[in-house]
Amino acid sequence: MSKDVIIRFEHVTKQYDGLVVLDDVSFEIERGKFYTLLGPSGCGKTTILRLIAGFIEPTKGTIYFNGKNINHVPANKRQVNTVFQDYALFPHLNVFENVAFGLRVKKMKYADIQEKVAEALRFVNLEGYEHREIREMSGGQRQRVAIARAIVNEPEVLLLDEPLSALDLKLRTEMQYELRELQRRLGITFIFVTHDQEEALAMSDQIFVLHKGKIQQSGTPKDIYDEPVNRFVADFIGESNILPGTMIADFLVEFAGKRFECVDQGFYPNEPVEVVIRPEDLEITTRDQGKLQVRVDSQLFRGVHYELCCYDQHGNEWLVHSTKKAEVGEEIGLYFEPEAIHVMRVSEAQEVSDGEGSDET
Amino acid sequence: MKRKVKWDNLYLIIMFVILYTPIFYLIYYSFNSGGTMHHFQGFTLEWYKEVFQDTRLLIIVLNTFVIALLASAISTILGVMGALAIYYVKKRRMKNLLLTLNNVLIVSPDVIIGASFLILFTIIGIQLGFTSVLLSHIAFSVPIVVLMVLPKLQEMSPTLIDAARDLGANQWNVLTKVILPFITPGIFAGFFMALTYSLDDFAVTFFVTGNGFSTLSVEIYSRARQGISLSINALSTLLFLFTVLLVVGYYFISQRSSRLYGMGGRK
Repeated sequence: MSKDVIIRFEHVTKQYDGLVVLDDVSFEIERGKFYTLLGPSGCGKTTILRLIAGFIEPTKGTIYFNGKNINHVPANKRQVNTVFQDYALFPHLNVFENVAFGLRVKKMKYADIQEKVAEALRFVNLEGYEHREIREMSGGQRQRVAIARAIVNEPEVLLLDEPLSALDLKLRTEMQYELRELQRRLGITFIFVTHDQEEALAMSDQIFVLHKGKIQQSGTPKDIYDEPVNRFVADFIGESNILPGTMIADFLVEFAGKRFECVDQGFYPNEPVEVVIRPEDLEITTRDQGKLQVRVDSQLFRGVHYELCCYDQHGNEWLVHSTKKAEVGEEIGLYFEPEAIHVMRVSEAQEVSDGEGSDET
Repeated sequence: MKRKVKWDNLYLIIMFVILYTPIFYLIYYSFNSGGTMHHFQGFTLEWYKEVFQDTRLLIIVLNTFVIALLASAISTILGVMGALAIYYVKKRRMKNLLLTLNNVLIVSPDVIIGASFLILFTIIGIQLGFTSVLLSHIAFSVPIVVLMVLPKLQEMSPTLIDAARDLGANQWNVLTKVILPFITPGIFAGFFMALTYSLDDFAVTFFVTGNGFSTLSVEIYSRARQGISLSINALSTLLFLFTVLLVVGYYFISQRSSRLYGMGGRK
């Protein structure tokens, strides 16, 4: 086995007063990668983070860290540090003392503390801010202090609990780049929790999509975007047109009253399936050239593209992203490549969805 | 152009005048050389001289301060521990029960507290005097401190504790490096409240002072009953000034700490 596993969850279940928030979850986290736990609020992503940090213990199952069971290891004895959603900076301490907190607790020598704090602040581009009070820092700067305070302890895994959610859009995009860059430079494992799918796609090596306490799908951003395994993932990651269909045979699927060539195989003949086509994979053409004919119901200008809402003659709604403009009420044709069609088994979680076979089960 | 009379301001002024008039009346006559409270004859500091020459009175003043400082210091420690205990209670009902028990002690009449302490001390055989006064002052101050500290604790974001533990702090570190610094303003407020309550308490003290031991408020009461002497006015004036000083001091401390701790609370 060449995989360098640092954290392993084995059938972990977490209940609060009988309420299951994490339902028999198993997965592995490899050293030195950027992971994202993605899901809507209440899906269990923060619970996983708190389990790894050691703030809570699993109801059932085992968590391994470097191969050792850490179920009952308290938070202050774990080689893991957290960046909290509200930063949780200590208001009575200045920037230096905030960052130095973990080192002081470890009773490190003052000269070493100074050196390490300076280095950590350099890492997050906050040199010279040592003696500022926390209340004098802006939201973005507080964020950096929180990161510096975590990485100064040289954790093996850095946990980030929706750290960008309080920042404005521009700063958030900037921080996405910086976090990714920071992870590369430090070479440690990042586990990032977010409900923002764009953030997840932009930053991660691996994404776990969570819903209702279960991992729906895990894979690279491209895997998850291009080959969602079920309706939830398709719907949650980006916008999509999801239609009922039938898999006539390998590479041939029927939906919206027509048969289309596709690239999926390995289904039973005539198996009912769900078909996903991303709005940006649909191209507007003339009525005759299109594979599908739809009528434009409404049109919104979104800046980068137009967002068209169309209906075909069966009443299916089609969302189209196009740089081309159309007239409301006009009948247009939609063209798409066979690769644009993603076929999913009906209401399936996690398991293999197509003939290509995925590398995780 | 007539300026509009602001009725709410007028009301406020009248209320303050009513509240403060007796005090200023008393202060005014403390400088009266005539020796009565109805006819001002001339300015004198004689009554103040009398106060400062009265060694018995000075000892009582000293007693009062020793009691107040000791009682408020001890009750601050106990109150902070109590507030922490209530804060850490997980069950909501238990928490509310403890809080209610605490609040009942604050609102219950001093006379009842005083009387019950008198009974308690006689039963367990504690001599009435310094100890009994100190104990009862501590007892009625603790709930006040709890009440001042608890909101500060609840204002603290619980992630601060998570963060400290995450950074390797054990329970003791969490308490001394995070929780106590955060609630310091509340602790100060509680200390000053306890101090003022202890300094000017009459009813409870009246029950539990034995022979030979007295605090200022009890002494002023007994002197006022014996007959009018303007030295009481002088003494009261001094007490009043001291209280004002305490309030001003408290104001500046809370100003400073609100600047320091203006953030980090729960959103």
